[in-house]
Amino acid sequence: MIENRPWLKLFSHFILIAGVLIVALPVWVALVGSTQSASSFADSVPLWFGDQGVQNWSHVLFHAAGSTLQIPVWHLLLNSMIMALGITFGKIAISMISAYAIVFFRFPFRSLIFWVIFITLMLPVEVRIVPTYQVIANLNMLNSYSGLILPMIASATATFLFRQCFMSMPGELVEAARIDGAGPIRFFFDILLPMSRTNIAAMFVIMFIYGWNQYLWPLIITTDDTYYTLVMSIKNMLSVPDGDIEWNNVMVTTLLAMIPPVAVVVGMQKLFVKGLVDAEK
Amino acid sequence: MSVYFPQKKLPYLLVLPQLIITAIFFLWPAGQAFKQAFYREDAFGLSQTFIGFGNFIDLFQDPLYYKSMGVTMVFSFSVAFFGIAIALWLAVMADRVIRGKMVYQTLLVWPYAVAPALAGVLWWILFDPNIGPIALFLDRIGIHWNHFLNGDQAMILVVIAATWKQISYNFLFFLAGLQAIPRSLIEAAAIDGASPFKRFWDIVFPLLSPTTFFLLVVNLVYAFFDTFGVIDTTTQGGPDGSTNTLVYKVFKDGFIGLDSGGSAAQSIVLMAIVGLMTVVQFRFIERKVQY
Amino acid sequence: MTDLVLKNIGKTYPNGYQAIPSIDLSIEEGEFIVLVGPSGCGKSTLLRMVAGLETITQGDLLIKGNRVNEKEPADRDIAMVFQNYALYPHMTVRANMAYGLKNRGVPKEERDTKVNSVATMLGLEELLDRKPNQLSGGQRQRVAMGRAMVRDPKVFLFDEPLSNLDAKLRVQMRVEIRQLQRKLATTTLYVTHDQVEAMTLADRLVVLNKGKAEQIGTPMELYNKPASTFVAAFIGSPAMNLLDAEMTEVGIKLNESLVLPLSHDYRGKMIWGIRPEHLVASDEQNGDFALQVQAVESLGAETLIHGVLVGSQQTDGSAVPLVVRLSGPHLPDIGSHLWFTAPREDWHLFDANTQQRL
Repeated sequence: MIENRPWLKLFSHFILIAGVLIVALPVWVALVGSTQSASSFADSVPLWFGDQGVQNWSHVLFHAAGSTLQIPVWHLLLNSMIMALGITFGKIAISMISAYAIVFFRFPFRSLIFWVIFITLMLPVEVRIVPTYQVIANLNMLNSYSGLILPMIASATATFLFRQCFMSMPGELVEAARIDGAGPIRFFFDILLPMSRTNIAAMFVIMFIYGWNQYLWPLIITTDDTYYTLVMSIKNMLSVPDGDIEWNNVMVTTLLAMIPPVAVVVGMQKLFVKGLVDAEK
Repeated sequence: MSVYFPQKKLPYLLVLPQLIITAIFFLWPAGQAFKQAFYREDAFGLSQTFIGFGNFIDLFQDPLYYKSMGVTMVFSFSVAFFGIAIALWLAVMADRVIRGKMVYQTLLVWPYAVAPALAGVLWWILFDPNIGPIALFLDRIGIHWNHFLNGDQAMILVVIAATWKQISYNFLFFLAGLQAIPRSLIEAAAIDGASPFKRFWDIVFPLLSPTTFFLLVVNLVYAFFDTFGVIDTTTQGGPDGSTNTLVYKVFKDGFIGLDSGGSAAQSIVLMAIVGLMTVVQFRFIERKVQY
Repeated sequence: MTDLVLKNIGKTYPNGYQAIPSIDLSIEEGEFIVLVGPSGCGKSTLLRMVAGLETITQGDLLIKGNRVNEKEPADRDIAMVFQNYALYPHMTVRANMAYGLKNRGVPKEERDTKVNSVATMLGLEELLDRKPNQLSGGQRQRVAMGRAMVRDPKVFLFDEPLSNLDAKLRVQMRVEIRQLQRKLATTTLYVTHDQVEAMTLADRLVVLNKGKAEQIGTPMELYNKPASTFVAAFIGSPAMNLLDAEMTEVGIKLNESLVLPLSHDYRGKMIWGIRPEHLVASDEQNGDFALQVQAVESLGAETLIHGVLVGSQQTDGSAVPLVVRLSGPHLPDIGSHLWFTAPREDWHLFDANTQQRL
C-alpha cells in the first residue's frame, strides 16, 4: 500500500455497507412481509417479522399461489426449471457447435452465416414480439414447453463467446491433435470440450439466469396455467380485479422466484464473474 | 490461428441447428413484421389492405410516438447514468478496502440474478402510495407520492427499479477494470504528490474510460430492451404514457391495441435502432479484442 | 536408403503469394537435417508442409518412397515437437503421451509399456501423473519430445523447440536432443533461426532465404565455403566482414590506396569477405590494412574489436565497418589504429551482382 489513511478506509467501509443495505432493503421488506397475514398490510407494509411465515410459505408452495392463481408454486418452480435448463443447455449446445464450425473450418458462406447469426439474434424478442407470437401460434406451439424453450435457444452472445474462446486456443494444439490422429469429432470431445469446461460453466450461469428470468415470452404464449412459469405468474397475482393484492403471498412467490438464480450467481460467483467479464473482453 | 480441419460438409451440419432456429424464430418473424408494416388490418383481423408506407407515415405523425421516444431517452439515460455513477463509486470504495472485498462483491452482485419483473414488484411495495414505507415517509416530509397518478414519480420509480438491478453488473466491470490498473501508476502519481481524490480524476478515471464507454452502451441497450418486466409489473406505461417506452409501446399497440400494422412498423424502427447499437457495440468489442 | 525426399516442392497461397518457389532435398535414413534462416524465410512453412499441416501446391513429398502429399498428418508416420509444446492442458503427462497411440487403437497395456519406456529414457517417470501446468519449461519440453518418441515415427519434426527456454537450459537440451537422436537413429527435420543451434545439431544444414534454399551442406562446408553472401553473413558469429571491392588486373581493390594482390579472371564489382576470427594482428610494416578502434567487447577468452577501415569509404561516403575477433584479453585505446593481415586462404570472394561465390 502506498499509504495508510485509516479514516479513508473507514469511510470506504461505511459507503459500502450503506450500499449493501440499500441494495438489500427491498428484499428485507419482502422477507418480513412474507411472514405476515394478509390483513397486516392494511395500513402500511410491516418492517419486522410476523408469525405467519411457515403457514404462508407452505400454503403458497403446496396449495395455491393466491386466490387468482389456484396452482401451487412448486409446479411453477418446476416449469421455470424446465424452461431455464432447456434454454441453457440448448443454447450452450447449439452455439458451441456453430462456433466450432465457424472457428475450426473454412467453408463457403462462413462469414455470411456468422453475420446472420450475429445480427438477427441481437434482435431481442421484445422488439418483434407480435410476429414471433404469430409464428409460434402457426406452429401450434402455444402452451407447450417447446414453445417456451425453442425460440430462446439460438444465442448470438453464447456463439460469440465460444468463438472468442476457441479463437484464443493455440493453433499448435489443433495441429498436435491432428498429428495424433484426432479427427474433428474426436478433437471436439477429447480436447475442446474438456478445455472449455470453465467457459461452459460460466455460460451456464449467465444463460440459466437469462432463461429463468424470461417474462414477456411466457406471459404471451401461455394461457394454460399448467405451463405458467414462476416469474411471469407474478403478473397474474398483481392484476386482481378490485386491487386487493395479497401482498404476503406475492412476497413469498417473489422470493421463491428469486432464490434459484440468486443461489446460482452467489454459489458460482467466480465462474459467473469470469464469464461476464470475459464475454466482453 | 490458421489451422483448420479439411472436412467440407461437416461444418454445415454443425451450424444447421443454429440456422434452423434463427430462420424459424428470427428471420421469419422479422419478415412478417416487414410485411405487416406495409399493410393495414381491419379491426376483426379478417382482411388486409396494402398501404405502402402508410403505417410509417402515421407513426411519424403521431405525437404519442414522439412522446414515447422522449420517455425512452429520459428513462435509458437516467438508468445508464445512475447505474454507472453509483456502481463506479462503490467499486472505487471496494477496490480501496483490502479485507472483505469479496464479501462486498457477493453482497452487491446478487441483484443481477433478479428478474426485472420481480425488481419492479419489490420497489412497488416500497413505494406503494397507500402502504409503502418510503412513500409514507415521503408523505411525512411533505412530498405527496403517488406513482399511479403522477407521471414524473412513475418515471422515478421505474428508473430506481431498473438501476437497482443494473448496479451489480456495472460494479463487477468497474472492479475488474480497477484491478487491472497497474499499481505502479498509482504509486507514481502518489510520488508526484497527487491526493487520493486527484489520483482518481487524473489517473484512474481516464484509464477506466474504455470500461465506462462500454458500460454506457450496454446499459442503454439494457434500459431499452430488458426492462420490459419492470414497467409491466409497475406502471404498465402509465400514467398517461409517461413511462411508455418504445419497446413497451410495441407490445401495447400490438397485443392490447391490436394494431398489428402500427406495431410492426414500430418493430421495424426498433430493429433499425438495435442494429445500429449492435454495430457500435460490436465494433467496440472487436477493437478491444485487437490488443 | 533415402528416407524423406522433397522433389520440386513448392507452396503458393490462394492469394498468389509464393512462399516457397521450389526446393529439392533428399534426406538419408537417420540423418539430422536443420532448416535455418531468418524469420519469414519459409522454414516453418516447409516443415509444416512435410507434416501435412500446410497443403503442398507443387512437387512431390516422399516418405520411404511413398508419395504422401495428400495424406492426413496422422497417416504420414511423422511426429512433431512444437515451439510452445502444444501439450493438452487438461490431460496428465501420461495421457498426453498416449493420446496418439490411443487414437490409433493401440491396446492399453501396449500404450502403458511404450509410455513407461520412453518416460524412463527421458527421466519423466516421476511426472507421469502431473498436468502440464505443474511442469517447468524444461520438463514440458521433455514431455513434448516424449509424446513424439512414443509413436516411434519414421520422421521427427521439430519446430523451434528450444526457443522458449532460457539460455542455460537451451544448451543442455540441445545436447540432449542430439544424443537422443543418435540413439534412436530417427530421421529428423529441425527448424530454428538460431545458427549456433543449427551448427551444433545438424548433420546437414539447409539455409533458407525467401523460400529458396541458399545452400545445403554440412556445417563445416557452410562455414568454410558459403555459397552466397547471405550464407556467409548468416553462419558464424560475429558475422563475416563483407566489403565492397573491385577486381582489377592487379588484385582486389578495396580503395584507391588499398589493393590486395590476386590474379583472377573475374573483373568488376565484387564483395570481399573475411571472418573476424581470421584476421591476424600485425604491425605497420607487415599489415595489409589498419583499423581505427571504435568499441571493444572483452569476453575474457576472446576480444571483439569493432572499428572502421582506415582510408576507405563506402559508396555513400560512410566509413567501412570491420570486426576483428582476437583470442585472449586485449585493451586497445578507442580511436587508436591497429594493423592486421588477412591470410589469402581465408578470403571469400563473391560476385557483387549475383551475390554468389566466385
